[in-house]
Amino acid sequence: MIKMSKSFGKNPAVILEKIRESLDRLNEKMEIFIELQKHERKQDFIVQDLPEALDVMTLLSLPDHLRKTAVSICKLGHATAEEVAEQTKRARAVESGYLNQLVLMSYLQKERKGRKAYFYVEK
Amino acid sequence: MGRIIVIHSYKGGTGKTLLSVNLAAAYAKEGKRVCLLDLDFRAPSLQSIFRLGGSKYWLNDYLNGSCEIGKVLVDYTPECECNGNMYVGLANPATEALRDMSAKDRKWEMRALGRLLSLKNTVLNDMELDYLIYDTSPGLQYSSINAIVSADVVLVVSTIDRSDVEGTTRMVHELYDLFEKKTAILMNKVPCEFLSTQLERDSVIKRFESTHTLPVLKVIPCYCDVLRAGGSKIFVRDEPEHAFAKHVNDIALKIDSF
Repeated sequence: MIKMSKSFGKNPAVILEKIRESLDRLNEKMEIFIELQKHERKQDFIVQDLPEALDVMTLLSLPDHLRKTAVSICKLGHATAEEVAEQTKRARAVESGYLNQLVLMSYLQKERKGRKAYFYVEK
Repeated sequence: MGRIIVIHSYKGGTGKTLLSVNLAAAYAKEGKRVCLLDLDFRAPSLQSIFRLGGSKYWLNDYLNGSCEIGKVLVDYTPECECNGNMYVGLANPATEALRDMSAKDRKWEMRALGRLLSLKNTVLNDMELDYLIYDTSPGLQYSSINAIVSADVVLVVSTIDRSDVEGTTRMVHELYDLFEKKTAILMNKVPCEFLSTQLERDSVIKRFESTHTLPVLKVIPCYCDVLRAGGSKIFVRDEPEHAFAKHVNDIALKIDSF
């Protein structure tokens, strides 16, 4: 939700930037929702506080589409969906969905820096 | 950018270590910059071959996060009699270290994977190496699968033993394929009578390519000289005219175009 406050002043650039950020976040949430629906595996995702170990045995047990994303993030260390998509040669939106799925499964962590969301393995 | 080559097998005793050492020596002889790492933490063997005393640190220490990789590597170039460079990183053969490595938990293995993956930057790129070769434990060991995940090319060494062939076939489908690795088979210790004519050699290659659904890079006969040497020789350096050394040189060329 965008709140028009005094701090925005009347600068349209600031307002537009805020709208863009909000749309980005909304888009990300929709991607997760689409991904969950696509695989109909809502029940499999148990959100946990403690990160799960993303070791090679776990990698082997993941479905093919998620394994590719997970291996890629292991190699990159700390990356955006766009950087992962460059490695896997799949669409950024697809990778964003898979990365968020891995976050839900507690294998990855996610942090925001400005407009960008970074994914990484908690060591 | 250099390449990471992993030498793996389903069973022990297939000749992984001998092939790894000679492959590294073949590349170094060609003038390449190469580094050979012993990732067989269950049964380290490079120490017996190289008899190095130059480093106080082992690969175990690097994976434990107690030192950087530079402290582990020993420059073997002077003993290698080569035009390039050869570095070696050893696994700790002490019983206590073997016990310690077999008791690591999943979190540790996950961090070890991260440290292995980072070698692409710290060793291949920063040290400007052409090849990083990993000698691994047979089968589905953590350290071996970590190595496979970080590999550019996987060479699977198999004998004609039925259980070896069947196990290798399973690993192709349940391991290498899942990680989408560029993989090739090396058939080693094949009885000479199966390879006496070109027709027979082609037939052996065709048979195993069809079994594994992967290219067979080389079929190496079983040489009594190699067995007799008992790991005391690096054939590419000590007996470059030996047929085994020529097979290894050929493998090195084939990997480059693979």
